[in-house]
Amino acid sequence: MKKNFVYLLIFAVLVITAAEWIGFQTITIGSISITLLPLVFAILLTMFLAIKAFRVGFMKKIYSKENVGFASKYLIFIMLPLMARYGADVAPQIGEILQVGWVFIIQELGNLGTVLIGLPIAVWLGLRREAIGATLGIGREGELAYISEKYTLESKEGRGVLSLYIIGTLFGALFFSVFAPILLDLGIRPEALAMAAGVGSGSMMTGAASTLVARLPEMESTILSYAAASQLLTSFLGTFTMIFLAVPLQQFMYKLLVRGDR
Amino acid sequence: MEKRLGLNQYVKYALVLLLSVGLILFTQELKVLKYPDSTPVTGMTIAGLASLWLFSMIGIGISSLLSNSKIGFIRNFPILGWVSITSLIMCLLFDFFVTAIQAVDFLSITTPILTFAGISVADRLVDLRKTSWKVAIVAVFVFVGTYAGSALLAQFGLMLAGK
Repeated sequence: MKKNFVYLLIFAVLVITAAEWIGFQTITIGSISITLLPLVFAILLTMFLAIKAFRVGFMKKIYSKENVGFASKYLIFIMLPLMARYGADVAPQIGEILQVGWVFIIQELGNLGTVLIGLPIAVWLGLRREAIGATLGIGREGELAYISEKYTLESKEGRGVLSLYIIGTLFGALFFSVFAPILLDLGIRPEALAMAAGVGSGSMMTGAASTLVARLPEMESTILSYAAASQLLTSFLGTFTMIFLAVPLQQFMYKLLVRGDR
Repeated sequence: MEKRLGLNQYVKYALVLLLSVGLILFTQELKVLKYPDSTPVTGMTIAGLASLWLFSMIGIGISSLLSNSKIGFIRNFPILGWVSITSLIMCLLFDFFVTAIQAVDFLSITTPILTFAGISVADRLVDLRKTSWKVAIVAVFVFVGTYAGSALLAQFGLMLAGK
């Protein structure tokens, strides 16, 4: 085994220890309280320490090309136990979930919010073809594949979806872990927030579901099972929602919005 | 995405998964030290971690077996999905798995993952400079849009369902 890889493992253990030692922290702004979980500190620490200026000596070995490559190549495998855990959360609640199954399907349509809210803002900010890529969805693999097939990634549309992909990868989990409890404080029910958490990205869903669990530990099983079921449904239906609903809606709105400002 | 896997690849995945569940165990131990009320580490926890490892391996196996499938939808279905489905079916069939897996603290699973997620994006931080601030603002509204949209529809649906 490579020496640098051993450093990576030691580093991971240290980061986890630091993150868990910081533990749960709550920030209160007015009536809204934001709970920061250890996972937030773990991602902040690893990203902060990755800044080029710190990459000297020992840190350079940790963030070596091979180690960063290992982390990105095997990240989804490191995530697999989490996905397996979701199965155990859904199973005991399966009856209840099937009972409100149609609500799960209806809320999938909420994913069109990316077009409905994002597109007008993007056009207003002066974005044009980039906006197509940046607002089709949350910019995960599905949208990336669709845009690169239809427009190529070198096009303006492609640049839009790639930018969103990068921003989502870096800040997605962080964003949702802060945004979910804000909606909770605004009066949205935890069941609804849990269902909505299945946005189609494992880490974003985990960000949202984890803070909800931290806020309402007595509802852990409901929150996790709803989030996981909805995530699974998104992985089945997501592509169809995108191609048959999001794309036509986006084309229609885009023509309308862009014609208006000529 | 991957072709049929050779034995070497399986060994590699098995070891990576072992690392993953090992770090989960470590995290859960730490959490108990810091918050004595959190989920304790018991024999069941070990059984739970072993089940998570097993279901992940089965999911990888299924995905690899189907990677030559003629139906694009099945060929491209993510490994993550296969693992969830495998686990769901096993947990529906045997209550033991539910008990065992729930002895693994949920939040302890998330910290190691996000640690590696953070490391994995290290070399992409520079790409941020290439993205415009406009797309960054749009991203906020895109995320708000999908989440608030789904949450409001779900809230409305649950109300109609009388739940």
